[in-house]
Amino acid sequence: MITSAAFMAFMLVGVPIGLCLCLAGLVYIAASGNPVLFQSYPLQLFGGVDSYGLIAIPLFILIGEIMNGGGITRRIVDMAMAFVGSFKGGLAYVNILANMFISSILGSATAQVAIMAQIMVPEMEKKGYDKTFAAGLTAYGGMLGPIIPPSVMFVVYSVLAQVSVGDMLIAGIVPGVILTVMFCLVIALMGYVYNYPRADYQTPRQRIMTILRTSPTLLIPIVIVGTILGGLANATESAAVGAVAAALVGKFWTKEFEFSQLPQMMLRSAIYSAIVLFLVAAAAVFSWVLIFGKVPQETAAWIQTAAKDPVSFMLICNVILLVIGTVIDGIPGLIMTVPILLPVATDVYHIDPRHFGVVVVINLVLGLLSPPVGLCFFVAAAVTGAKPGKMFMVTLPFFVIACVLLVLLSLYPSLSLILVK
Amino acid sequence: QAKEFRLGLITPNGHSWNKAALKFGDDLKAATSGRLTVSVFHSGQLGNEPAMMQQLQSGALDMGFIQAAELGSRVPHIAAINAPYIVRSTPAVAKFVRHPAAVKLFEVLPQETGTIGLGWGITGMRAVFSSKDLNTLADIRGMKLRINPTPVYRDFYSSLGAAPTPIPTPQVFDAMANGQVDGLEADLEFSWNQRFDKVSKVILQMNAVFMPMAAVVSGRVWQSLPAADRELITKTIRSTLDVQIDELAGNEPALIENFKNAPIPIRQVDAKDTEAVIAEFDKIWLPKAPVLAELRKVGATL
Amino acid sequence: MPATRAFSVRRFIVRASSALLAVERLALMGLMYLLTGLILVNVVTRYSHFPIYWIDESAVYCVVWLTFIGASAMTRLRLDFAVTMLTERLSPQHQKLAKVISTGLVVVFGAALIVTCVLWMDPVGLARAGFDGRKLAAETFNFLYTEHTQTLNWPTWILYLTLPIFAVSMTIHGLANLLEDLGLVPRVTPKGFQLSELDGVN
Ligand code: NA
Ligand code: NA
Repeated sequence: MITSAAFMAFMLVGVPIGLCLCLAGLVYIAASGNPVLFQSYPLQLFGGVDSYGLIAIPLFILIGEIMNGGGITRRIVDMAMAFVGSFKGGLAYVNILANMFISSILGSATAQVAIMAQIMVPEMEKKGYDKTFAAGLTAYGGMLGPIIPPSVMFVVYSVLAQVSVGDMLIAGIVPGVILTVMFCLVIALMGYVYNYPRADYQTPRQRIMTILRTSPTLLIPIVIVGTILGGLANATESAAVGAVAAALVGKFWTKEFEFSQLPQMMLRSAIYSAIVLFLVAAAAVFSWVLIFGKVPQETAAWIQTAAKDPVSFMLICNVILLVIGTVIDGIPGLIMTVPILLPVATDVYHIDPRHFGVVVVINLVLGLLSPPVGLCFFVAAAVTGAKPGKMFMVTLPFFVIACVLLVLLSLYPSLSLILVK
Repeated sequence: QAKEFRLGLITPNGHSWNKAALKFGDDLKAATSGRLTVSVFHSGQLGNEPAMMQQLQSGALDMGFIQAAELGSRVPHIAAINAPYIVRSTPAVAKFVRHPAAVKLFEVLPQETGTIGLGWGITGMRAVFSSKDLNTLADIRGMKLRINPTPVYRDFYSSLGAAPTPIPTPQVFDAMANGQVDGLEADLEFSWNQRFDKVSKVILQMNAVFMPMAAVVSGRVWQSLPAADRELITKTIRSTLDVQIDELAGNEPALIENFKNAPIPIRQVDAKDTEAVIAEFDKIWLPKAPVLAELRKVGATL
Repeated sequence: MPATRAFSVRRFIVRASSALLAVERLALMGLMYLLTGLILVNVVTRYSHFPIYWIDESAVYCVVWLTFIGASAMTRLRLDFAVTMLTERLSPQHQKLAKVISTGLVVVFGAALIVTCVLWMDPVGLARAGFDGRKLAAETFNFLYTEHTQTLNWPTWILYLTLPIFAVSMTIHGLANLLEDLGLVPRVTPKGFQLSELDGVN
């Protein structure tokens, strides 16, 4: 009790969330009358990140850095434009499709929104789209980043839940593709209602030339998947191979990547990884303390009185996670909820931990797109100058359709498990 | 006076060690009319085994089921129990870990690790699952083999000519499926749960090594308990582990039957192939753990 | 005289923090190169049937060190997830107060972590035991200095050193930030980091 009160107080006064977790852990030990736990405290912090699966995080982030520095992202957008026809709402589809492509390389929603908003929003504005809508749509496109593999959130989840990183990444594919299709349907509907502008006409020859010219970007996902299927590497190691592929494509094909940029890219990747990884370490300490205080066990007993079957449990989880997601961002949210909810899900309701992970991640990512702390909207706003609140309102249909996906997933776990062995 | 013990282990819910832990709690509670109780923290909720050891040493954690690999990496004397071909079947393992010679290994624990060993629990004999055909020990030469990274196993499989490859447990199935490794070694219970037969061409029953677990108590906590309670706890844990050992050994024929029904062959290592391997292994390990000689003698009688 | 001493303490903290940050910057780059290199070497050697046994473990510890060094650096760079829901609605004066409290808590955490590290690593006990880890273990049940990692076979305490280092550097960076927040020293922008606040990670 005093632990949660302390945690809330630290958070509201503006202490970084990782430190809130660490400090609340110290408060718990001090209040527990078991000071011998102080001796275990540093080792628990260490143990939280002493895990093979987490190696993937710096490597995925490095790929993103190299792709950006190498001008590869821009070419993927060009490719999506060549694929989409010149029909109503063309650029809106391009936005979602390019986001889906890039999601297959980038692991993070906010990074993706920052990159894509710079490219897509001016383009869409030029064609006559409302800036707020364009920025909001890009934010939803970025939501695919953590769902379609690779995904830093899935890596963190798989470490928390002790399931295979590879399984988690695969489990996100079908829901990610369904979400893309659903977003396209919403665009079709909204394009009809609001009369969206048509995309530029390109001759079939132009389209083919663009696709040919931009196709080397596909080398990066091909190399990543190829090294895994070919038995050269696991999901983690493939990220390092992918980074090399991105560097080579950037150096020899787009010619925008220079090896002299590499030290700064390495530095940035290290620092952004540390932001995530320190949260994981802090969460390890915090959940250790919670477990010592038997909080998950008590929460489990409480939830069991409310939910009689797996479906009602999943629906309750959706509501809880969406509410948490509105105030807390993706990875911290993951770290705070998974240690409590997952044991209940697997032990009491016999829900597959991988399916549960997909639902939790989508919920929390949706939180990045809801007020008051919708980080993706803030990022899109910062890049484009649109208003976050208004952005949420004009893109409400996308929020609704994402909630529909969550209900579907709660009813049909096979959607996430179909590709997993 | 009343006390609630915290018992930590790394295996997930449903594992036979977890059932034993829960049963131990129930039995202890019944025997003391609720005065002594046990909360079980499974799946490494309190940390991995090194972290649990640290908590046992400081007295934050009362009890733990700790694998011989973890204890053996600290104390070569304990690692001797992981040596190959001390015994050659799971029923023999079941007898061996209850033999006074195996229990006597715990004598070094207080001084070397700050914990008290009360008894052994077991998993079955480990087998090699391979994606290329294997008939004899000699065929293991040149294989990239995923092993449990304990020094004893490393020396054993290296002496067979394999290239030991550490792969984190959750990724073993994938590593086999996509060919990062040519084979893996594991106990049959775990292998059946993971369905390693689906990514293998052959199973070779090595009948060489097994991975027992020690039920340990924090030395600090132990010192604080009255003698009568120590005796009761020891008695209760031993009887619980007896049940675990007998059940695990009793279940093995059914498990082997499962694998025989799988479409891949399950083969045995010929006993006469093993003498040179034992000699080579003992050359490294007898100086580190002289107790090995005695364990071999005892094992041979079972 | 006291005024100049106070000033020199301030200057010392800010300088120490800057020097630390410069070292951390190099260490982070180095660890990231090392991590990428280790993983690539692992792929190549395993593929050519000569897997190197200790690479996985080295890569894991590389990431652990990267985490704590990075966490220290990002404290000074003021890059972190924090909830601003309440504080952004406060008056500028109260905002400043909240900022001082939250930065103060960073220092509190750093100091507390130093204390827990001392309890855990027991440097005094170790010195008393003549820097003999086994003797310390026999006397105090603290086996920290007798343990080795599984595949590298390094003494684990060397790897654990990242925590006391983190505790100290966190405290120094926290103090430097606090001095800035209190307006006692001018705010400086750290050099050599081309970061953008937009590149949050999720
Ligand atoms: Na992605
Ligand atoms: Na939100």
